[in-house]
Amino acid sequence: MARLDIKQDLKALNNAIAAENREKFASHNIYVINVMGSPGAGKTTFLENILPELSKHIQVVMIEGDLATRNDALRIEKTGVTALQINTNGGCHLDAKMIENQIQKLNLNSIDLIIIENVGNLVCPASFDLGEDMRMVIVSVAEGEDKPIKYPIAFLEANMVVITKTDLLPYLDVDINVMKKYIADINPEAAVFETTKKDGVYKADEVVEYILEQVRKKKGK
Amino acid sequence: MHETTLMQNLIATVMEAVEKHNVTRVNRVVLSVGKLSNALPDALIFAFEALTQGGILQGAELEIEYLPVIARCRACGREYQADGFPIICPDCESKNFTIISGDEVYIKSIDIDCKKE
Repeated sequence: MARLDIKQDLKALNNAIAAENREKFASHNIYVINVMGSPGAGKTTFLENILPELSKHIQVVMIEGDLATRNDALRIEKTGVTALQINTNGGCHLDAKMIENQIQKLNLNSIDLIIIENVGNLVCPASFDLGEDMRMVIVSVAEGEDKPIKYPIAFLEANMVVITKTDLLPYLDVDINVMKKYIADINPEAAVFETTKKDGVYKADEVVEYILEQVRKKKGK
Repeated sequence: MHETTLMQNLIATVMEAVEKHNVTRVNRVVLSVGKLSNALPDALIFAFEALTQGGILQGAELEIEYLPVIARCRACGREYQADGFPIICPDCESKNFTIISGDEVYIKSIDIDCKKE
């Protein structure tokens, strides 16, 4: 019997394609956001509400990840933003190859921002680089204040965390400051925002401003 | 669930080595798994067994070695082993760090029998 040393990284293939995607985005000055969160965190609702605002200033395209349906892409298209759908057929995450396949369909010269909505799951998507500039985690207050410490890896690698559904706080036994402390414990550098819906109006102005700033920074380089 | 993807990559890599070295049998695959990799050992073993049915890898042992999480403090520069969350520098107590290692999953080696020349 012989021992053969291999030393082959099993994520190497994904990472290599992610690096190619990143280079392609950089050469076209496109900022890319990878949005992650549990099912029901409010990812699509958040996007539906910020896209019309973002679209006033920049050209945005969405890539929607979902196990089985086109539901989310249809919701996004109602905002007037182009949405490409990836169905993973049960797969728990998007990978860099799926993104590479989608961006071939786009005219990258006319795009400022691509937002990728990952499959609803806080575990697996965190392990797959897609070539993004920013990782955004969406977490709703209804999921419980300890979500960040229960799923630390997703929060560890997030550049931005959006806490949704804060209008539900009066009805929940959840302390949003505890949730924020947990986020800061794991990742003190993440920019943390809140969204709320009051009297039928969704409020996410600060998030929109922050995203526009990031897009402009990349354009400016 | 993404353990299946990792095991598919593992099998493809091992099969390349099998073809290159005239391997008749693979006895053991040693896998190094970082504690931050989100890969569950039971799920890795299950996927490995399921995906190797009927092939040259059937019956091979999958040995998993764990790699600790090593972080470098961005405040004082110290490298330290992080054993859980939150990750805090043992010297200056800063929570700002860069992960040096601990999120990787790689095949370290395989134990094989080869055809005699």
